[in-house]
Amino acid sequence: MTVLVVAGALLALGLLDGALAGFRSSLGRTGAVDHRARDRVAARRGLGLMAALLLPVAVLAAGHALAPGDWPAAAYVRAGTGLLAVYLPYAAVVLAALAAYVVLGWRWGYLASALILGPFTLVRPLVATAGVLLGAVRAGDAVVVAGCLLALAAVLAVEPLSGRLWWDTRRQGVRPTASAAQRQ
Amino acid sequence: MRADAVEITDLLWDVAADGVRRPVRRSAVVDRLRATGQHGAARIVARMPATDDVLDPDAVDALGVRVHCELTRLVEELQFPRRVAATLAPVLDRLRAAGPGPVRVVDLGCGLGYVVRSLARSGLLGPDVELVGVDLNPVLVAEAERLRRDEDLACRFVHGDALAPGVAVERPGRTVVVSSGVLHHLSTEELTALVRAQAGLGVAGWAHWDIAPCLWSTLGAWVFHRARMREPVSRHDGVLSARRAHPAPVLLAAARDGAPGYRHAVLEGPRWHPRAIDVVRPLVGTRP
Ligand SMILES: C[S@@+](CC[C@H](N)C(=O)[O-])C[C@H]1O[C@@H](n2cnc3c(N)ncnc32)[C@H](O)[C@@H]1O
Repeated sequence: MTVLVVAGALLALGLLDGALAGFRSSLGRTGAVDHRARDRVAARRGLGLMAALLLPVAVLAAGHALAPGDWPAAAYVRAGTGLLAVYLPYAAVVLAALAAYVVLGWRWGYLASALILGPFTLVRPLVATAGVLLGAVRAGDAVVVAGCLLALAAVLAVEPLSGRLWWDTRRQGVRPTASAAQRQ
Repeated sequence: MRADAVEITDLLWDVAADGVRRPVRRSAVVDRLRATGQHGAARIVARMPATDDVLDPDAVDALGVRVHCELTRLVEELQFPRRVAATLAPVLDRLRAAGPGPVRVVDLGCGLGYVVRSLARSGLLGPDVELVGVDLNPVLVAEAERLRRDEDLACRFVHGDALAPGVAVERPGRTVVVSSGVLHHLSTEELTALVRAQAGLGVAGWAHWDIAPCLWSTLGAWVFHRARMREPVSRHDGVLSARRAHPAPVLLAAARDGAPGYRHAVLEGPRWHPRAIDVVRPLVGTRP
């Protein structure tokens, strides 16, 4: 039971992070004012990509469970609660700031972004690594540690990969209106 | 950093007053950057595609549009359209009370015109306000116009020099000039010229937003450009803009010099009690 609760909480946080990473990876690509529809698509894709990237963790855990010998549920719980100890407060602050950005007036929205959302995006790789380090130290099981490292790889890869897969405009060159007429 | 350090995007286009574009030598840009000790920036430019030492204009244009697309994300997070609307509201009310007819807001150095397009979309300034964006870079003007068409917005964009009087100003007494993130591109002489050009026409007023140079804005620029920007050019230029922005006394001196008949202020909190909201703040001028 505890294992399921911890795994469920981590999966929910992972998918939420994937959705937000996908959203971020699509921002600043077109210059359009209204990008809400695009944001939704990007968030869905980020969530799906994160699910795919976390699949190896699930396969590893399942393989571990099917292997002969006792399945070390306690090691998973220890590692998982270590991850949650770092990720839950981070997620709570980010969600509160996002709520402030969306609900409160523009001055509060600006402050939420300037003081929390921007800096928290910057430290996200460090927070992800810190959580995995704590989880790994607490796990005391090599396979569980490997699972933690695979999850870390997924978290670090999701945003750049989503950008490359769906939103990178670099290979498209300049848009037609912006060149020919002006050049002599 | 040396006082004469420049942003990479200030060196990539050479457009004559008539809009004709001249080739830009990569080695000249690299040498210029090295001369001011900007070795990282020089390396970024040295990697840009060129033929016979001339920077590939298509690649430069594509880069410019990408950099400005990234910038719109920051402009949105910094709430620029709301800031403009909040500061202009009393000025626009005064102009409406003074007489009938439309009021025009001209955004100088509008880039991709995000502020103008966003204000057109939200209608925050009111239905009687005409919105015009002006930029020196014809590539950005064309792209701003394309984006305007895409979203069917009531505003327009023209190519022009902010320092040349009269660009997009037809009824000066009912025109308010704004800009965002442009002042730090100008020398103090150019600041004076900018203000003198508008005052000479007799525009109703202006509000030019720029970064307030301090430790917090430099730190904030670094954090946001690392967290949000992908292009090395954006990251370089963004942090440099915070470091080379003009302090309020310099802005005020240049404004008083260029427009002695106007009332001037830099709308920011006291130095001993800096406000987070004032990381970008306007130099405002109003005709008495
Ligand atoms: C940092 S960008 C800011 C763009 C836009 N205002 C924004 O907030 O996203 C500065 C812009 O000023 C334009 N610019 C610089 N000098 C100018 C001048 N003398 N006249 C018109 N535009 C100018 C540049 O082409 C560039 O688009």
